[in-house]
Amino acid sequence: MEFLINWLSNVPQSAVPFALAALGLIVCERSGVLNLGAEGYLLVGANAGAGAMLTTGSPMFAFVLAALAGGALSLLFALLVINLRMNQVISGLTIVFFAQGLTSLIAARNGWTSRSFSGLDQLDFGLLTDIPVLGPILFNQDAIVYLTVALFAGAVFVFKRTEIGLQIRAVGENPAAADSTGVSVSLYRYLAVVSGAMLIGLAGGYLSVGVSKIWVDDMAGGRGWIAIALMIFARWQFWPALAGAVLFGCIEALIPRVAAVGLQVPQYFVLMLPYVATLCAMVWVSLDRTRHSGVPAALGEPYVREERR
Amino acid sequence: MPDSAVARSHRSLLSRINLEIREHAPVPQQVALLAAGLLLGLLVSALILVSVGVSVSALLNEFVISIVTSSRSMGNVLDRAAPLVIVGLSAAIAFKTRFWNIGIEGQVIFGAIGATLVANADIGPPELRLFTMGAAAMLAGMIWIALPLYLRLRLRINEIISTLLMNYIALNFLLHLLYGPWKDPVTAFPNSKIYEHVERLGSTGWLNISTSVAIAMVFVVIVAWIFAASRFGFLMKFVYANPAMARAIGVNVAVLTILAVLASGALSGLAGFAISAGIDNRMTQSFFVGYGFSGILIGFLARNNPIAVVFFAFLISALMVAGQSLQIFYQIPFSIVQLIQATIVICVAASEFLIRHRIRFVR
Amino acid sequence: MTSLSTTAAPISEQASCAATGLAALAPRALQLTNIVKSFGDYVALDDVSFDLRRGEVHALLGENGAGKSTLMNVVAGLYTSDSGTVALNGSPVIIDNPSVAHRLGIGMVHQHYRLVDTFTALENIQLENGHGNYRRSMAKLRDRTTEIAERIGFGIDLDRPVGEMSISEQQRVEILKILTADARIIILDEPTAVLTDAEADRLFTAMAGLAAEGNSVVFVTHKLREALTYADRITVMRAGKMVRTVAPNDIDTTQLTSMIVGETIVERRYPSSNIGDPKIVLKGVSQAGGGDDAPISDVNFTVREGEIYGIAGVGGNGQSRLAALLTGLMRHDQGRILLAGHGALDGETPLALRELGFACIHSDRAHYGLANDLTIMENFSVSAVLAGDFGSPFKIDKRRMRASTQEAVKAFDVRGVRALHQKAGLLSGGNAQKLVLAREFSRAPSIVIAHSPCRGLDVRAAAAVHEHLHDARDRGGTVILISEDLDEILLMSDRIGVMSRGAIVAEFDAPADRNAIGKAMTGHA
Repeated sequence: MEFLINWLSNVPQSAVPFALAALGLIVCERSGVLNLGAEGYLLVGANAGAGAMLTTGSPMFAFVLAALAGGALSLLFALLVINLRMNQVISGLTIVFFAQGLTSLIAARNGWTSRSFSGLDQLDFGLLTDIPVLGPILFNQDAIVYLTVALFAGAVFVFKRTEIGLQIRAVGENPAAADSTGVSVSLYRYLAVVSGAMLIGLAGGYLSVGVSKIWVDDMAGGRGWIAIALMIFARWQFWPALAGAVLFGCIEALIPRVAAVGLQVPQYFVLMLPYVATLCAMVWVSLDRTRHSGVPAALGEPYVREERR
Repeated sequence: MPDSAVARSHRSLLSRINLEIREHAPVPQQVALLAAGLLLGLLVSALILVSVGVSVSALLNEFVISIVTSSRSMGNVLDRAAPLVIVGLSAAIAFKTRFWNIGIEGQVIFGAIGATLVANADIGPPELRLFTMGAAAMLAGMIWIALPLYLRLRLRINEIISTLLMNYIALNFLLHLLYGPWKDPVTAFPNSKIYEHVERLGSTGWLNISTSVAIAMVFVVIVAWIFAASRFGFLMKFVYANPAMARAIGVNVAVLTILAVLASGALSGLAGFAISAGIDNRMTQSFFVGYGFSGILIGFLARNNPIAVVFFAFLISALMVAGQSLQIFYQIPFSIVQLIQATIVICVAASEFLIRHRIRFVR
Repeated sequence: MTSLSTTAAPISEQASCAATGLAALAPRALQLTNIVKSFGDYVALDDVSFDLRRGEVHALLGENGAGKSTLMNVVAGLYTSDSGTVALNGSPVIIDNPSVAHRLGIGMVHQHYRLVDTFTALENIQLENGHGNYRRSMAKLRDRTTEIAERIGFGIDLDRPVGEMSISEQQRVEILKILTADARIIILDEPTAVLTDAEADRLFTAMAGLAAEGNSVVFVTHKLREALTYADRITVMRAGKMVRTVAPNDIDTTQLTSMIVGETIVERRYPSSNIGDPKIVLKGVSQAGGGDDAPISDVNFTVREGEIYGIAGVGGNGQSRLAALLTGLMRHDQGRILLAGHGALDGETPLALRELGFACIHSDRAHYGLANDLTIMENFSVSAVLAGDFGSPFKIDKRRMRASTQEAVKAFDVRGVRALHQKAGLLSGGNAQKLVLAREFSRAPSIVIAHSPCRGLDVRAAAAVHEHLHDARDRGGTVILISEDLDEILLMSDRIGVMSRGAIVAEFDAPADRNAIGKAMTGHA
């Protein structure tokens, strides 16, 4: 029981990076832009967050900077895929590569590498926090955990209940249709790419500021790719993505505790767990062919109006 | 720019910008634009380096002079270029059937594991040891790509994500081996025990060219031949250009894809062998770093052309070698190499835009 | 309001003014003057002028590639013209963006609908109309749309995703979309391409009603009958140029044809003189899984040697699925397909079918016929390479490949070939189809499966395709011609089967009565 509470109360913290990253990815891809750069946005977010903590010590500032860093990098990506119509797969990979080089360069130049800093405080809801079992799991987390849930609700509202959401979805499903009704495809794609990347940047910021409290090179460790798989798994829907993120949070929170249970599994096999689990999830979801995959119909295709042979 | 927002903003200038797709720009113009993109990329990279404190003279020295004048540096560049050529070919073959092999890194790792397995267990006669190691490496690379290939063909699972995840699994498996059963028994460092002499790719004994370079060249010729002259290569063009049409006319798209993708995995595995047996003489815990993405970028920059792969592999290799000395002498992290590669790709992609489009000003 | 334009009226207009009376005298709603639009070296619109009056239904008539759609896309703001002026109700306007057209009350229904499949009808309409408070505007919009739909007699469920709707329902959504956006000028691009005769009639009744309310309707078409029946005035375009504007009463079909084509091409029926033994027999063939087309069930028919068997029907009734079965792209679930001299076909691959003497002309040329990015030579040679011709597996004999491509290009009169290594995608529709025919007929096939082989081709190219099909038949071959164009079926077939809801519901011996076939096509729906 002790183990269970200890494990589960760590799940939200492990789940938030996946959740925010998947949220940002969905926002971006619903506009029809294939985004393989998640790992890169996570890295610049984490890097900016760690830098802000080491220089100012203000978590608030760190998160704002992390989101802005993600957004700034995505402007480059948007330029490549929306204006220059570069292949979206290569562009996404290039962004990851670019971010890996850039962040480790910045960290090395500023001496941020492997310097720990203070993290975030848990919120205390008084009586609620004192509830046995549920208290520590649900009501003793940091502010970003609750913000994440709010951001999901906000995204769902925007996409389902507002004009902008309708237009972003239209641009992702049928840009020609959106264009002929006067919706600017490029503008909405920019909007979706940048706001999505800011969310992923925030996820990265949380990774360094809220979880590890330290910067090490390449610290996203493939979470960006797992988030992409999560998005596919969730069929580009918001709430299922959050549920999936919690599931992966459970797996990740379990890793440091496996030895504690007394299981004799070699540690590197334990570390494989999230990736193997992701593969399994993709297989599982593909076996159910009765349901629509949910992929935005125009995903990955640059839109050109004047194209004509 | 095509979009309304931009078109509107230019209306005040009484001119509108029209964007047109052009089918084929003249070849000299294409080459010139690509070269300009490449130069721009190098220029931007140089600016980045200068901004982090490398002096211009040091830049010239590391990147140009020492490589051209010192035969040892040149040898280093060639030795590194060999596996880069092979991973570039690997990427190109898979892309030719529209299979995004992002898992080159994992296959490189498994290739080296296969080769090291043979070396550790002394499998086969010593005269054939290198051959056995190479074959084992290719087989291991094929095995590592087989699962994503199967998942893609049977369950239509996106190979980009699955091959990538396989990289992380391969990496953890490698670390498991190096920190566990395959730890160097002499030094207790996390790398495999050093290869014996018969297990190393030495010099061919001709012009000081190493065996790994020779192997890479042989595969360049083979792949170039397949693409340009064979029936397989001819049909592969259809699989790439229009798979539905290829199927309708009777091309066995699945078989062609399987063969090409397995070949891609085998080549990546071979690259792992070329790195371990040609450069490090053992399997280290970070030997593969940078090869996976580099292979993909080389394949992309070379537009899947095997000859162009050689050129870009050489360029990237020079970058890597120079990056190493920058790391040693200027304390600049090796990751600057990644940054520069990405910058080059972005600039070349921008120049490709000008090849594919014609910009016209109306009125 | 009178026109502010000082441009001299085109000569054609004076002729039509005298004839059409009211419609021509009504104020100009839209006037295009000297429009030029080019794509690269290709001039799509060459100095085109056009006017549209208030309260008229105007047909814009011409062959594929005449520039009709391009002209209307200029009006709708999707293309910007290189030069020329546009005047709306007499005042000059610049329409450089769809949203400008939208604001000016110009609405266009494109040939390929611009609908988001996953959205409901109402969401699609909202996309065109969206401003301000989303939920309140949705409620308002629902009332408004329902009101308009009732007024013009469109019954439609606003809450169904349009992806689940029939083609004619989708068209109604498109029209409602522009009407709710207060369009006063309504442009319909090939609106009847996928409708039955009865559906088309209903559509034009509704359009006439809109015109009577003072709106203007333009419909783009290549069908003479439609223009003559439903339009107040007809404007003919040919090869990017304006030919003339006429009133339907002043002209007959032959005159109109020569205006469209520039010369008179009349294809005549040419029945088979030598019908032989049954060659291919379908018995109770059914197939349901995969694909978008309607499932087919219990399809029975027999086609003999030296015979063209035409399969008529409205698109989407299982023709594509039948074609996929006959060309080896799909395998049937039940029933038997018997081939004389071979036995039952059971999931033979396209390659195996080719060995058995099949030639396949798919309806979707860009998708199944050619690889547009590859060269003419490669596209022509691929089937022979697959059969093992042109050198060994290790070395392709490019010289022989070139020679035989050269020969075929000449024999099949493929024009616009500057070099054999030119991309096939650069060929015009007719010439691309001739290239497909050259490849498919290179081995004298005994069975030809042709699905809408003339879709999108001009009259001359269509006649050439028909001639090749006749040749194949006259050599003793068996031809199955699947087409949604009833005129083509009537012209070509020796026997006609009518397909509806996935089955052959009636058979006719040629020459057959058009009305009887039309009834069979829709009678079971």
